[in-house]
Amino acid sequence: MLSEFSAIEGRSFGYWKILGTMVALVLLGAGSFLYVEHQGHAVTGMNNQIVWGLPHVFAISLLVMASGALNMGSMSTVFAVKQFEQFGRFSAFLSIALLSGGLAVLVLDLGRPDNMLLTMIHMNFRSMFTWNVFLYTGFLTLCLLYLWTMFEYKQYKKFVGTAAFGWRLVLTTGTGSIFGVIQGREVFGSAITAPTFVAVSLTSGTALSILLLVHTFRRTGRVLDDRLVFGMRNALIFFLALVAYLLVVEKFTRLYDPSSYAVEGWILTGPWAWLYWLGVWGLGVLIPMALLFNHNIGNSVNGVLMASFYVVLGTFCFVGHTLMAGQAYPFDLFPGYILSSAFQDGVSGTYVPTLSELLLGMGGVGIAGAIYLLGIRFLRMLPEKGEAPKGWELPWNP
Amino acid sequence: MIASIRNLPPLRVKGRREYQPYEMEEEREVKSPTSWAGRWSRTILLMFALFAAWIAAPLSVQADPPQPEKAVRGPCVRDAEWMRRNHMDFLKHKREETVREGKIAPNESFLSCISCHPSKERFCDRCHAYVGVAPNCFDCHQYPK
Amino acid sequence: MTMDRRSVLGLGGAIAAGVALAPGLHLIAAPASPEAASGKGKRWAMLIDTTRCTADCTACTKACRAENNVPLFGDPLRDIHWIRKVELKDSQGRKPTMSLPVLCNHCENPPCVHVCPTEASFIRRDGIVQIDKHRCIGCRYCIIACPYKARSLVFYKTKPPKDGNPSVPIRAAGVVEKCTFCAHRIDDGKLPACVEACAKADKGAMIFGDINDPKSEISQRLQKEKTQTIRPDLGLKPHVHYQGI
Repeated sequence: MLSEFSAIEGRSFGYWKILGTMVALVLLGAGSFLYVEHQGHAVTGMNNQIVWGLPHVFAISLLVMASGALNMGSMSTVFAVKQFEQFGRFSAFLSIALLSGGLAVLVLDLGRPDNMLLTMIHMNFRSMFTWNVFLYTGFLTLCLLYLWTMFEYKQYKKFVGTAAFGWRLVLTTGTGSIFGVIQGREVFGSAITAPTFVAVSLTSGTALSILLLVHTFRRTGRVLDDRLVFGMRNALIFFLALVAYLLVVEKFTRLYDPSSYAVEGWILTGPWAWLYWLGVWGLGVLIPMALLFNHNIGNSVNGVLMASFYVVLGTFCFVGHTLMAGQAYPFDLFPGYILSSAFQDGVSGTYVPTLSELLLGMGGVGIAGAIYLLGIRFLRMLPEKGEAPKGWELPWNP
Repeated sequence: MIASIRNLPPLRVKGRREYQPYEMEEEREVKSPTSWAGRWSRTILLMFALFAAWIAAPLSVQADPPQPEKAVRGPCVRDAEWMRRNHMDFLKHKREETVREGKIAPNESFLSCISCHPSKERFCDRCHAYVGVAPNCFDCHQYPK
Repeated sequence: MTMDRRSVLGLGGAIAAGVALAPGLHLIAAPASPEAASGKGKRWAMLIDTTRCTADCTACTKACRAENNVPLFGDPLRDIHWIRKVELKDSQGRKPTMSLPVLCNHCENPPCVHVCPTEASFIRRDGIVQIDKHRCIGCRYCIIACPYKARSLVFYKTKPPKDGNPSVPIRAAGVVEKCTFCAHRIDDGKLPACVEACAKADKGAMIFGDINDPKSEISQRLQKEKTQTIRPDLGLKPHVHYQGI
């Protein structure tokens, strides 16, 4: 039933235009990196309260989406949903592309990138960053091996695919734990942060896969059975429900505890509350759910695409809220007292991103995009036809 | 072990062509596209270039060696020849020791070096400029005038 | 001896791998003997008597800035503070307003050391939490981790100050720095600059000493008087104690 895999032609003006845009983004990102490295981080919008800014939002969002992009492959390999086996190569390769983009942005925003090699020689095994270095490189290797088994040694596909799936759960837990283990920060220092990151990776990866798959097939004139997209839509609805559940449980548990009244009040009604309500809940959960549950919109491919786009935006808002609001909340050094000092004690952090940070983040998107475009051009990643079996009916439709 | 790996039967995967060994059909005389004159000119040019490099390298060193300023007084913590070769590792080791353990051997600290070598421009920079290295120590560590 | 292509490639790969790895391997130096380490058996701590601290006094902050060449950039959101005066106003207006210095607490379980990927943040044998700026990559994870906001990133490039302290290095842009308990002064048997300045200003609010030594002034005062630390609930065991809050 699997149709032949083939590379796209990649000779049309449209292809060159998109590839050119991605390369331009990469060059602008590189230029911005050189500018910030030469001038010092003062040219960015970051300050001593908000030390991780827009580049980190982009980097972590790309990394979260990278682990989620493996969903399609895992669904076929691990969960035996045979209809998606044809997208396994696309899925693993997209993971690699997004991972490269995310890691590049993370490394390029260091204050002393020339000292980067020191992380290889001196390792602190209690640091989540060190664990993440191993998790990311291991995931990259596993995705490459997974691709290799899909191309050549199909008898090992299930083993490597399952290992990659398990590894990505640990990896996303590791990414969330960067924040979750920091007890000094009340906003995100909790055990539920890592599972929430895993759930967000599930939604964002599925959404991005839908967006890229449908657009790629449309622009290369390949046929894609709508039922496959609707199968992904059902998975997306389930993952969105999971994200909503975790967000609600976290808030409920915190609001029950009087010691969290101040923090939660600040999160829900403070200077960064707009990002929480409009971004995390609005763009990330409620609007996509409303679109996907709607009888007309949810049953059209364009409607699913629109909902997926909102989910991706919502992912950026979720990571942004974790980072910005998490850093902006002033430390409660002396409970019961209002603090003031020359070092902004007692004051909520403010942050306005600058163009150089946006360009650096978009440079990571450019890297991921360029790798993806070159991959589908030179390697046989996509099936000729995205077909589904004749009698296959989805168990549920809105 | 390499022989036993080579002797395994080839992996059989559907759709993959069998590896066909190359077979010589007839004896052929190897003919080079370059002419006899061309080959000889190439050899002579290469020999001349190598010879010139062999002669020129030591000549360029003898012509203009770096002259760092002599110390105000001796002796140093180690002798000059040892220092010339090893001061980088020595300073790095002392740096790690001082930062991580605290001041252990005050007479071997960097600040005591400058008591005998008072000028960075006339001492450190002379050899560093010649060799073309730029250690970034002095971006932060102030070399008193 | 003829080798087939696979053996040549394998051998070449092994040689290339060896050549690539060799520079990265280095012999592990024998650890410095414990007697040689300065501050053997000592554990430094500070006690701040906030009843002697006045709102208008900034002797400690000025002395720290002068001693360690800590620059001010005129950019309040990005200025580097190693020690700062914090004003405490009771939120219900029932208690008096206080002013006290806040600095790195040199915790016994420092979260900044736990999260540093290169071990640039480390804890010295005598309890001082230091930053090895040669090794810092500027990732700012430690700033995220510190619950006291004790650390600052160096946002601007700096030059040696004209009337600064020539025996203390300045900093490169992009690294993180914080209070060092004036380790360079302690190793010479002196007191940190802030403590000395506080005594000179006739306030005497800051006491510094070795809590492993039962006869030191700080040990005796901690024994006799009621003191507290900031955020003891976090389990970090800070070494800066406050009195009179």
